[in-house]
Amino acid sequence: MLSELLTEEKIRFSADRLSWREAVTQVAEPLLTAGDITAEYVDAMIASIEAGGTYIDLGFGIALAHTRPEKGAVRTSISMLRLEEPAPLLDQPEHAVDLYFCFAAVDATAHTQAMSSLARILSDTETREALRAARSASDVHRLITAFEEKK
Amino acid sequence: MKFLAMCSSGLGSSFMVHMNIDEVLGELGVSGVEVDHTDIGSAGPESADVFFVAKDLADTAAGLGDVVVLESIIDKEELREAVKAAAVRKGLL
Repeated sequence: MLSELLTEEKIRFSADRLSWREAVTQVAEPLLTAGDITAEYVDAMIASIEAGGTYIDLGFGIALAHTRPEKGAVRTSISMLRLEEPAPLLDQPEHAVDLYFCFAAVDATAHTQAMSSLARILSDTETREALRAARSASDVHRLITAFEEKK
Repeated sequence: MKFLAMCSSGLGSSFMVHMNIDEVLGELGVSGVEVDHTDIGSAGPESADVFFVAKDLADTAAGLGDVVVLESIIDKEELREAVKAAAVRKGLL
């Protein structure tokens, strides 16, 4: 379940004006601290974005930073960083992102349940807006738990 | 009939699109479509009948065949129209 992976300590908020590199580094930080990913994973995410990887931009100001499992994913894990000021990917205004998720999967199938939950949450207009409006980690976690209980 | 969602890693965005295509097909009452997701590097023209990518990969996907380019991969309304159009093109609706 997404609510089990995206725990409150993996949900961060920042009022700082960050570059996209800083945003990716900061969203990954709780996973790095928990040992869910290695430093190589963070470098690989940044490298893949530098290589033109604005594909992580999901739309609606939301990005899902991730890379291949073999680049240093230790455990299937997800974290979130909400910014007050958008940090546009590759400094491109059309990729203005203020809600970053970092996601690591240890193989191509282990993460399916959590990802399907995240996909449904983000694709549901009402829940997506509530998520964007949430102002604390506990609000975000409560919202996700409620969504999963409803389904 | 196969619909294939693709992204660079084959794990994140493409999986989300895969999930949403499944849901939309269910809503439309279309059956008999196999839906899957993969990284774009391992897909070829024979991999599927309809390919779905986010706009950043539009150029890379060109040449695969019937390619649907999505503005946002979590815009359900956009995807619903795109899947419906693809189903009509393939004679499923």
